[in-house]
Amino acid sequence: MFSVDWWSLGLPLAYITVLLGSLITFSSLYRKRKANASATLAPWFPQHLSKDIYLSLLHLEPEPGQEKPPVVPDSIIRAALLRRAVEDIRRIIQIRSAKPACTALLQRGSVGDDLNERFLRAEKDMEDELRDVVQEANALSEGWGNVIFQSANEIAANTAFRKSLNEIQAKAPAEKEWWEKRRAFIQTEFMKELEEGSTYGDGAVAEGVKKKSKK
Amino acid sequence: MEDPESFTLLPVSIDPTSKAITSTSHSRALQAELTALNELHKSLKNIESAVPPPPIPVNQKRSAQINKLRESGNDAFRKGKHPEAIKFYTLGLQMALTRPLWEPSGLVRDEVSGLYANRAQAHMAMSNWVEGAVDAEASVEAKKAGNSKAWWRRGRCLVEMGRIQEAKGWIGRGLEMEGTEADLVGLLKEIEAKEKKCKVFEKEICI
Repeated sequence: MFSVDWWSLGLPLAYITVLLGSLITFSSLYRKRKANASATLAPWFPQHLSKDIYLSLLHLEPEPGQEKPPVVPDSIIRAALLRRAVEDIRRIIQIRSAKPACTALLQRGSVGDDLNERFLRAEKDMEDELRDVVQEANALSEGWGNVIFQSANEIAANTAFRKSLNEIQAKAPAEKEWWEKRRAFIQTEFMKELEEGSTYGDGAVAEGVKKKSKK
Repeated sequence: MEDPESFTLLPVSIDPTSKAITSTSHSRALQAELTALNELHKSLKNIESAVPPPPIPVNQKRSAQINKLRESGNDAFRKGKHPEAIKFYTLGLQMALTRPLWEPSGLVRDEVSGLYANRAQAHMAMSNWVEGAVDAEASVEAKKAGNSKAWWRRGRCLVEMGRIQEAKGWIGRGLEMEGTEADLVGLLKEIEAKEKKCKVFEKEICI
């Protein structure tokens, strides 16, 4: 029969428990602190307006005097989700174009760790956001999650393109006005030259005509 | 940073009859966003399926109509009926620019650049230099490379209006995009000659 020597067994076990316990405490404390630190960081992007609209529509409050909240048709919910996806596309583009610059600046030490932390945080949040939108899209209409970002991408590109076209076309009235004035000025100048020319004789007239014909 | 599960509840409400979303807030950004949302909702209601179809394949009907309008415009232009040609091109442009937003933007750019370039030509034939210049610029905005006609047309219009320096800069940029396009090089030479002549005469107006 062997007898158990409780002392020599208990000591190593106690040692391991204390070790593991302290490691776990340290780890959880460390993580909590880190999470707190990143929670106090300023957000990379401003408020996500279309996301807030989408969620507000899902959580509409009942009108005063009525018990049930108003019913929002699915088509509006879909439109709101599409708007949210468009804004996401814009943010993805921003993140992608900022990434190389951000990394380079960090390596050179031109920006602090704070900025990098914020950037990484924004990247991670974006991933969660995309996953969320795909899930919502699939819930609203089967298989929409696969194409919603293609549509959103085209919408973002089309909106930007139409905006720049409108800007160009909007310049037309002002330019037209300028040109009318200028043309009138050129005509009076020309008439003056002609008149002056007639007092000095034929040679000057010919000169004036020559200048005009350069056009 | 905020908790991902939380959001700001916005003061939005829905109109029971028109289903338009409105807000009591005075925030300009929110109002603009809501306008965009309502417009998107309207255009979504016009399609058969519940959600916008993927960008590819494209609805061929509209492309055919736009092409037809451009052909009509070209015919009118060849016959010398310039105002009529401009009308056709304008209709075509409206058609192309009112495509639903989720259709491929590359396609819209292609169609729009051709129509603007043609309309610029028709305006130039009527000596409407301002409209010609603006349309050619819009065409270039839609399609920068492989669009030497539009580059040349705006350059020509600027020269006609006496904006020599601007024309020089514009053609220079055009040459960067198009390589050594003979028409553009020719116009640049003309501009440089004109610039010299104007310096000799020291005239304020250089045409």
